[in-house]
Amino acid sequence: MVGNDIVDLNEARHASNWQRARFLDKLFTELEQSYIRDAKNPFIMVWRLWSIKEASYKLHTQMYPARFYNPKGFECTLDKNSATAKFKNFQCHVQTRVTSAYVISEAHLDKKKLSSVIVKFKGPGQKAQSEELTTRLLKYAGGAYQLNKNTLGIPALSNGEEHRYVSLTHHGSYGAFAIS
Amino acid sequence: MTKEQLITKLKPLIEPYVQDEEAFKNLSEDTDFVKDLKVNSANLVDIILDIEDEFDIRLENEDMEQMLDVKSAMEIIAVKLGI
Repeated sequence: MVGNDIVDLNEARHASNWQRARFLDKLFTELEQSYIRDAKNPFIMVWRLWSIKEASYKLHTQMYPARFYNPKGFECTLDKNSATAKFKNFQCHVQTRVTSAYVISEAHLDKKKLSSVIVKFKGPGQKAQSEELTTRLLKYAGGAYQLNKNTLGIPALSNGEEHRYVSLTHHGSYGAFAIS
Repeated sequence: MTKEQLITKLKPLIEPYVQDEEAFKNLSEDTDFVKDLKVNSANLVDIILDIEDEFDIRLENEDMEQMLDVKSAMEIIAVKLGI
């Protein structure tokens, strides 16, 4: 099982405003807000924490299939490039990489290295980009794998015999996938 | 406020974050913000904050938890407004 999440920093600058009233309170715990306050670059810290929460939520949906929106409920504790996220009795390990263009986080139940393949989309358009990401994933997976999403939108790879967990993420001009 | 009035007030709040215009044209109570409108999850909080401002209400964590579709959003707003 795996969950991942990418944040296109350029998109985050334009499409979101983390400094708007009540934004931080809605999404982040006291501890997380202290990370943001103390960060050299609060903007990067906001999106790092967000991507950790999203990656953890996606992993959670693979274990406990249900959709909900409770980012604040996934409590992050940071340690260098690693983090742990807790939600009720669920806990996972998250690795994050920050570049000048994006932040990528990947959540596993055990400590694992980040394996997400990053895709920079050729053109605009949510639909075209989503197709490009799927094409790249299937090429990478090889064989006769097909991508299926269940009614909750949780993706999985299958070739009729083997099933593999997969996580896809898409934001702005960037996408990524991870297979486990 | 009727359901129709509520949905009419909601639509312009959702519109800035929609990535599937076709699905937005066909918006109904059953429309899902993420699955249908392709709203990025990072922008769901903006819709919630815009709803708070527009209706002058405050949504708690447990209110937000089910706010993934138009119907749930309408129900929670109605409860908060006491209508």
